Amino acid sequence: MRRLTLVTGLALVALLVVAAVLSLGWTPHDPTLVQAGQRLQPPSWSHWLGTDRMGIDLVSRLMTGARSTLLVGVAAVLLAAAVGVPLGIWAGMSRGLAADLVLRAGDVLLALPALLLAILLVAARGGSAATVTIAIGVAAIPVFLRLANAATRGVMALDYIDAARMAGISRAAIARRHVLPNIAPLLGVQASASFSVAILAEAGLSYLGLGAPAGSPTWGRMMRDGQADLFLTPWPALIPGLAVALAVLGFNLLGDGLRDQLDPRLREWR
Amino acid sequence: MPAGHTPAGHTPARVLAALLAAVATAWLAACADPSPSPGGDSGAPTASLVVGATVEPPTFDLTQSSAAAIPQLLLYNVYQTLLKVDDAGQLQPLLATGHELSADRLTYTFQLDPAARFASGAPVDAAAVKASWERLCAPVEEAAKRRCSSPNSVVATPLSLVDEVTAVDATTLAVTLVRPSNSWLYDMTSSAGVVIDPAADNLPVHPMGSGPYQVDSWTVGDRIVLARNPNYWGAAPGFEQVTFRYFADPSAMTFALQTGDIDIISNLTTPSSLAELEADPGFNATSGTSTGEVVLGFNQARPVLQSLAVRQAINHAIDSQGLMDTVWAGQGRLIGTMVAPSDPYYEDLSQTYPYDPDRARELLATAGATDLELSLRVASDLPYAPPAAQYIASQLAAVGITVTVEEIDWNRWLSEVFQDGDYDLTIVAHLEPRDIERFADPDYYWHYDSAQFRQLLTAADQGDPADYVAGMRQAARLLAQDAAADWLFLLPNLVVSRAGLVGVPVNASSLSFDVTAIRP
Amino acid sequence: MSIPTQPAEDESHPARPPSAGTAFNTTLRGLNVLQGLAKRALWFAGSLLAASGVIFLIVQTLPGDIAQATLGLNASPEALEAIRQRWGLDRPAIVRYLDWLAGLARGDLGSSYRSGQPVAQQILPGLAVTGWLVGLALPLAALAAVPLGAVAALWRRRFPGAVASGLSQVGMAVPVFFTGVLLVVVFAVELGWLPANGYTPLTGPDGDPAQWWRHLVLPVAVLVIAQASLLSRYVRSGLVEVMTEDYLRTARAVGWTRWGALRRHGTRNVALSVVTVLGLQAAALLVGAIIVEQVFQLPGLGSALLRAVAQRDLPVVQGIACLLVVAVLTISFLVDALYLVIDPRLRSKARR
Repeated sequence: MRRLTLVTGLALVALLVVAAVLSLGWTPHDPTLVQAGQRLQPPSWSHWLGTDRMGIDLVSRLMTGARSTLLVGVAAVLLAAAVGVPLGIWAGMSRGLAADLVLRAGDVLLALPALLLAILLVAARGGSAATVTIAIGVAAIPVFLRLANAATRGVMALDYIDAARMAGISRAAIARRHVLPNIAPLLGVQASASFSVAILAEAGLSYLGLGAPAGSPTWGRMMRDGQADLFLTPWPALIPGLAVALAVLGFNLLGDGLRDQLDPRLREWR
Repeated sequence: MPAGHTPAGHTPARVLAALLAAVATAWLAACADPSPSPGGDSGAPTASLVVGATVEPPTFDLTQSSAAAIPQLLLYNVYQTLLKVDDAGQLQPLLATGHELSADRLTYTFQLDPAARFASGAPVDAAAVKASWERLCAPVEEAAKRRCSSPNSVVATPLSLVDEVTAVDATTLAVTLVRPSNSWLYDMTSSAGVVIDPAADNLPVHPMGSGPYQVDSWTVGDRIVLARNPNYWGAAPGFEQVTFRYFADPSAMTFALQTGDIDIISNLTTPSSLAELEADPGFNATSGTSTGEVVLGFNQARPVLQSLAVRQAINHAIDSQGLMDTVWAGQGRLIGTMVAPSDPYYEDLSQTYPYDPDRARELLATAGATDLELSLRVASDLPYAPPAAQYIASQLAAVGITVTVEEIDWNRWLSEVFQDGDYDLTIVAHLEPRDIERFADPDYYWHYDSAQFRQLLTAADQGDPADYVAGMRQAARLLAQDAAADWLFLLPNLVVSRAGLVGVPVNASSLSFDVTAIRP
Repeated sequence: MSIPTQPAEDESHPARPPSAGTAFNTTLRGLNVLQGLAKRALWFAGSLLAASGVIFLIVQTLPGDIAQATLGLNASPEALEAIRQRWGLDRPAIVRYLDWLAGLARGDLGSSYRSGQPVAQQILPGLAVTGWLVGLALPLAALAAVPLGAVAALWRRRFPGAVASGLSQVGMAVPVFFTGVLLVVVFAVELGWLPANGYTPLTGPDGDPAQWWRHLVLPVAVLVIAQASLLSRYVRSGLVEVMTEDYLRTARAVGWTRWGALRRHGTRNVALSVVTVLGLQAAALLVGAIIVEQVFQLPGLGSALLRAVAQRDLPVVQGIACLLVVAVLTISFLVDALYLVIDPRLRSKARR
């Protein structure tokens, strides 16, 4: 069961990565070339999944879409982790007012709903993949902050940290050598979960008209573009939606599988 | 099932739907209301009409705001004018039973309908009309011109041509113009000519007119309810209540029609669903003409776009038919200038610069404009603009112009593109009827500056009415040849209504969605 | 976004079962709780102040303005300037902020630029719609999540558990927009049982309880599917955690049945994590239900926010944002307080 979770998750994520990497060098058709004569074609030998309202091949757009989906996810998670993790570790190692303030600032950020941030950012900067990434990333900062902080406190309670401290090892070195390696697996699990949140968020923002501009190779925008022809043919909206669902499923399963692997208690039960 | 659905084909959504329907649980069936929803196929004449629309008005004050959603709701339904434009685009008497023009073509004399009353019961007499117009544009003693407080140019432009308004007697109104104008009478059928109850003191919230309906309630973000005006002076309208529901999601509007939650789609913005709705005997779908020109605007304050060859090249590079097919499901009409087919001076100029990418490349080369980079900024809220931008970017790339598309919200578009002119190319539909005179203003956001065009336009407007059409055609042709913009296509007026309703407007000949003639 | 934010399960509020055999002096206990509550109340006020500053700052940087939004395409510059002056937009930002803050302290959110109405009055109808939507959906989601999660935990290596886990995974992965459109096509368009979209208030002059309920069935169902899927994961992991604890094995060894032991220890553990997640989701969904609101054309709070931003009706934007922050903080305050009362271990932490 547990293996199946991990393997299915890995397989789905691998599919996404392969499609994204492949799209760098090859797609069946040009993913941006508008061809009025080819619009809304049903699936065929030349267009495996048909074409959209602009006559663009859906497979090609889906593949480039995998790339931007990964990019948005990676960039957002990196942004959140780059800010949240160091702060969280620092706050976890040094107690006091400053650390408390940082944590509380994270809580304030958590109290500002992600959607509010996204709506305001898009109104201010216009809809684009970059804006969406920033909105998702900023909203995820407190999640990483709180997780890193809680995990660091756990590590700091261990005896050998005390020993290292008494041996005169600097705090930065302790953080690097002992804390980070210990909490890295947990962060990995969270990153996987944050990926699926980012993918769904991109789709949701695009649905609200707050995403990347028309024709952008993101799955959310593909869904929105396809929506205009929902009554004529549901494929152009349905297919990217399915891709979103599979990718989210993949990252969730991967995260679950990883966590199960990490938690020895779960392994030995029964 | 209300409003009978015909299986137009086994689309995958249908198959999936049927599957899910099969496993639908019994409790839902038990709790479902067996009576059809209002406006369904009950057949009995309903006292209420529900109209689906897309853009909600920001305010009710059409003297201050030029948002097209306000006259869509209020013009003719709540506010009336002396003359109105009917569905065919012809002038018809409304508050005035007749009018005469003096020999010097400077003075119009209107005979008002003695029966006309505001919803408040006060008479719509000559004094009331004079007061209403002067409320917007006060006479200025020293200057010949009037000063118009209205920021809405649709209101201000025709009213500023007025020199004097005289109430000759209760039902006779004399209007003297500063110069003869062939377009003035027509322009006064729109927001400029509405007669507002002199007792009105809160126009943004409480419009007071003389029409068959009056505003009853407004649930912001959802609906505006019009109720029958009990004091209406003319024939009683068809409904006790007319509700305008505003839909942010266009497919939701189509669903609402299919389930009988609304009776009319005032303007379908998902033209690809027209075929399915047309095939359904439960609905009447019509494709009429509008006055909404979808304009690819060139910012001619930019040196590179001041070059005629570059503008011509862009016109040649874009396949308008293909664009209309992809963006608006082939619905609409190709035009080649700022004139709609319903205008008297219309002629087909759509082939002035036919699709010819080779010619476009040549022109760009002669202008020395290779490696051109242009920004195309469009409002994301407009259903046609983002796909049109995508299409145009792809076609201009084919002739060597790099276009960067940016989608911004309507508010930013208004302030940055429209007001500040921070753009190279943009796309927006100009909905007002007979709005060719916009190109006469060099400060307007296109910055098209042609003394010859202005001279042609004024000459046609002031000149002999017999020469009006010819004169306007000359002006319109100059605009087309100058490639002052690329007129992509004319929006169709796609109206879908529940079968059985009569009097539903077919064309958008004015800004009003005129519900006064609709009967159950 | 109606996408549930997934707090990591190993978070700062770990749902752990209380350690056995703790006996507390009741006086000390009350004192600790009071102390903890006072400290949290102070943080609450500080957070609110900080958040109000952040909100004001972001809102002020929005390009475009209300004057433009109201006057439209053909507005003259003089008319724009007049409107800006009317709303005091020509004053320095810091003055406007302090002015707004002073109003907040009095409980006055200011007036809408668009309608001139008090902001509170402008927000309330939307809050009522979203309140019903979320208020109905979350308890139903919890009701559905407990059996789903229990099945997933108890048979987690067998077929029923896999099915239950799979269902919750799928429920979380499918975009809300899809579930919504699918339900509309099936139950409104094809079967004609329910209206496709729209809203009728429960009470008031246009109120109609029958129509109100019919309009809410589908949107509530969509939310329940998404939220129950998310919640069931917490129920599952809460139960799995209990099942792996040593003392549970001990309990079984001394003669408790597996069910009895689970009922006794599992209930509290699961209740704690479910309460936490429900609290977080309730706050997030006040605006996060916006996609459901759009699909079903419900005039809720999220849609009001979107509209206010589009019109640059800044007092309304600030008002809604503040309302959300207050809601989030209040709920997490309540959840914290609940923890203090329920979980003795955290009580001792609060003392530090």
